[in-house]
Amino acid sequence: MNPLARMRDRITIEDVLNSRMIASPLHLLDCCLVTDAGGAVVLTSMERAKDLKKRPIAVLGTGEAHTHRMISQMPDLTQTAAKISGKLAFERAGVTHADIDVAEIYDSFTITVLLTLESLGFCKKGEGGAFVSGQRTAPGGDFPMNTQGGALSYTHPGMFGIFTVIEAVRQLRGECGPRQVPNAEVAIANGTGGVLSSTGTIILGRE
Amino acid sequence: MTQIPLPDPYQDTEEYWKAAREHRFIIQKCGDCGQAQFYPRRVCSHCLSSKLEWIEASGKATVYSCSVNYRAGHPGFAEKTPFVLAIVDLAEGPRMMTNIVNCDPESVRIGMAVEVCFDDVTDEVTLPMFQPA
Repeated sequence: MNPLARMRDRITIEDVLNSRMIASPLHLLDCCLVTDAGGAVVLTSMERAKDLKKRPIAVLGTGEAHTHRMISQMPDLTQTAAKISGKLAFERAGVTHADIDVAEIYDSFTITVLLTLESLGFCKKGEGGAFVSGQRTAPGGDFPMNTQGGALSYTHPGMFGIFTVIEAVRQLRGECGPRQVPNAEVAIANGTGGVLSSTGTIILGRE
Repeated sequence: MTQIPLPDPYQDTEEYWKAAREHRFIIQKCGDCGQAQFYPRRVCSHCLSSKLEWIEASGKATVYSCSVNYRAGHPGFAEKTPFVLAIVDLAEGPRMMTNIVNCDPESVRIGMAVEVCFDDVTDEVTLPMFQPA
């Protein structure tokens, strides 16, 4: 559904489990791509943006947090800094989880998504797997997520975070064609950096 | 055979590597707050005191998390796959990243009791590792 995505064939749960083991329990298809790519965003005042050709999208709230430098020093392997950055972003944006129409969650590995969704508060700790099960994040599902294919299928040049923001903006502008989430008005994008060390959360909305 | 990347001891760590060569496992303990830390640093990561002393650790630990690596991230590890990369909770408190060796890699579990052992990689460098206790 994303003509720019590197991997566009259908992947089943069996395909993932049958792909070779990289670092247990992560199989090859649990790991993001390694590609070339680049992205950028233009940030300006809403007043200035109103005169531009593209529909402006507002930054409603942001948060950043950092918890460690080395993975061995991570305070809790089951919780990321998104717990802090997400709380800040939601508070500053003045919206709740129920207001989010589309989520773009950094996915270096499948586990990164589950940890992030739990840390952002979309579900309780340990419930991330069940939360995304049953095609809920698939096209037409009730929790649209990583609509451009994510780092697992779209691209990952080493810095994928920018693509979470770009896709969130495109969804809110209604530019996504067949993968467009209907009536998307509020989106969340969350990047994770280092070794699950730091997170940046941004909540965007239509003006 | 490509050598694995080896530590390059410096002021903060040379005491640790010297002990390892003698098959002794030492960690730092703070003379002010009394807490232990790993890896070696110049100040206490708990209270920022510089009154650190070396203590002989018990070598007892519990597996906090582990993964069996099937793909080497460096050519030096190619002949070692599959190997267990783990984070263990030392009995003295600190967490340490290490390998669990001398066992079937797939048999290692979270919560497993392990003990320190030593791998004399070269004449100069010995790596403390862990094995099932």
